[in-house]
Amino acid sequence: MISFPLRWTRAHRVVAASALSLLSWSSVSLATEQVVIASTGGAYDRALKAAWFDPFTKATGIKVVTVVATNAEMRAKVAAMVKTGNVTWDLYLDGEIQAASTAHKAVTEDLTDFCKQFAGRKDLGVNACAAGGALLQSTATLLAYRTGDGGPTPETWADMWDSKTFSGERAFPNFDDPWRVMAAALLADGVSRDELFPLDVERALKKLDEIRPAVSVWWKTGDQSVQGFRNGDYSIGQIWLTRAKAMQNEGLPIGWSYKASFLVGDRIALVKGAQNRDNALKLMAFWLNSPEAQAMACEVLSCTPPSTDAIALMSEDVRKTMPHANEVRDFMVVPDAEWINANAAQLLQRWNEWLR
Amino acid sequence: MSGPSEVPQPAFPRQRRSSAASARFYSRGVSVCLAAPLVVALAIGFVYPVTRLVGLSFEGGSLEQYRRLVAEPLYLGVLASTVKVAVVVTIASLLLGFPVAYLMARLRHGIAMVVAACVFIPLWTSVLVRSYAWVVLLQRNGIVNTLLADAGITDGPMKLIYTQGAVIVAMTHVLMPFMILPIYSTLRTLPPDYNRAARNLGAGAFRAFISITLPLSLPGVFAGSVLCFVLALGFYITPALVGGPGSMLMATLIGQQTTVLLDWPFAAALSTVLLTVTLIFVFLFRKTLSLSKGLHSVH
Repeated sequence: MISFPLRWTRAHRVVAASALSLLSWSSVSLATEQVVIASTGGAYDRALKAAWFDPFTKATGIKVVTVVATNAEMRAKVAAMVKTGNVTWDLYLDGEIQAASTAHKAVTEDLTDFCKQFAGRKDLGVNACAAGGALLQSTATLLAYRTGDGGPTPETWADMWDSKTFSGERAFPNFDDPWRVMAAALLADGVSRDELFPLDVERALKKLDEIRPAVSVWWKTGDQSVQGFRNGDYSIGQIWLTRAKAMQNEGLPIGWSYKASFLVGDRIALVKGAQNRDNALKLMAFWLNSPEAQAMACEVLSCTPPSTDAIALMSEDVRKTMPHANEVRDFMVVPDAEWINANAAQLLQRWNEWLR
Repeated sequence: MSGPSEVPQPAFPRQRRSSAASARFYSRGVSVCLAAPLVVALAIGFVYPVTRLVGLSFEGGSLEQYRRLVAEPLYLGVLASTVKVAVVVTIASLLLGFPVAYLMARLRHGIAMVVAACVFIPLWTSVLVRSYAWVVLLQRNGIVNTLLADAGITDGPMKLIYTQGAVIVAMTHVLMPFMILPIYSTLRTLPPDYNRAARNLGAGAFRAFISITLPLSLPGVFAGSVLCFVLALGFYITPALVGGPGSMLMATLIGQQTTVLLDWPFAAALSTVLLTVTLIFVFLFRKTLSLSKGLHSVH
């Protein structure tokens, strides 16, 4: 209930130390090659295991050990591991934006050299492998709405603010990462996509004042955004594409618009001082080198894989709901990670002040 | 925890004799050996990390973190509302918990066991589960809203979940056992003779409760209140699950700094402030107690 980060660190150190001694003892005695990766668990983990880890183990004989934690826990634990010198994880997954931050650079290895091998690949985009980590997949945070009344459907953020045409309550995320809500407000206020960053925070909050009374859900977890929609708590919301697709698969009347969307991805990062560094690099390279694995995982997770070859391998049904190239070109907003990271503390503080 | 010492009390001396007896039984060396494991465990697992934490907040020997904390009205504002929520939750737990404790102490053994089970089972259940249960109850088409609408009390679903009220209700529920158990243990040690004597001297049931049972139960009430209050100050999970944007508590801010921004010196400063405030309140509680007559035995 009371969280004292450092008590955790110490406790963790003791646990990690004993786990470490056990681990090194067992790896010596059993002589098995392995790599430890932290992911967020659940369906995500299962899909990655089936498409990526299992084929990798089959091909190389290297065992993949997964550890489950939330993204926030991962960041805190990795920072603690590197600080105390007891690194028990090799790889972990983190958001695209966080992977570009100074804090991330302090605890992960710079992959610039590793990335050189992918430079000539036509199927991979320029950001498929970056210093902060290899790209796992991309998805979007976007405007989703309840369908079915036959009326006009909201398409842009301005529509989300237009409560006369589009009635019903609204949902916005509140998971300590407020840039996307502010960015939506600015786009709704008429700021063009090219001039969005640096965000005009005060203008965004002023615009948000207008819609605040209509917001019934400020979701903290993806689960809350799903539960809220199921219950009819809101009819238009800014939510994750993966969750919107999951709800569509359930048969709920939901639609979404790529004209109001932000591109966000997940990266695979290598922890500084990782014990199985070579195996970890092999596992990362395996992902980027196998369009089959990417296609299989993204088929289940409804994500966009880093390789265009993988997209070609995916089923027609899934490809239909993916953003089209021209939608990406004309509408999707790619956040300015550098600016967001440089201003993260300031953004969050101002957001907290506005919200409470 | 015993009654006023001037009253002759055959029911209590056992405790006192045992503490004197243990000093006679065990030599100094044995006592030290017996206490050592706990002291060492506390030193390594508690004193050292807390010292490190406090030290981290003064990183580089500067007060920069604290200057930042005071300069922004956000942090002290959230601290104030955290204290307010803790006070409300403590009072609510007391008002709801005292009758339960009283009942447990007075009922026949078999029924008292059933009531005790009703108190203990929630205590053994994870906070996460109990908080989620409130989400189920309070959501838009949850049981509470359906009941109110069907009874014709409300026209449509009310906004119950993700509010400050939901946080207070759920926190009260989670913390109630910590209030009930100390009060129960005090009430149980009260000999029924006192009450009977009061009734014999002409006091009504209410008067006997007000002037005998209630004052004698105060040590338990204060112990329970301090426990609830201190735990409520650091609540994290429940406000995150059932609270809305308006119910921001100190632990939420500390969590943000620790896991989102990875600004540990500032998180340490926030934690240190919360720790200090907690200690001040515990100290004030004890000060108030030692001033009130007949409560010298409260610890």
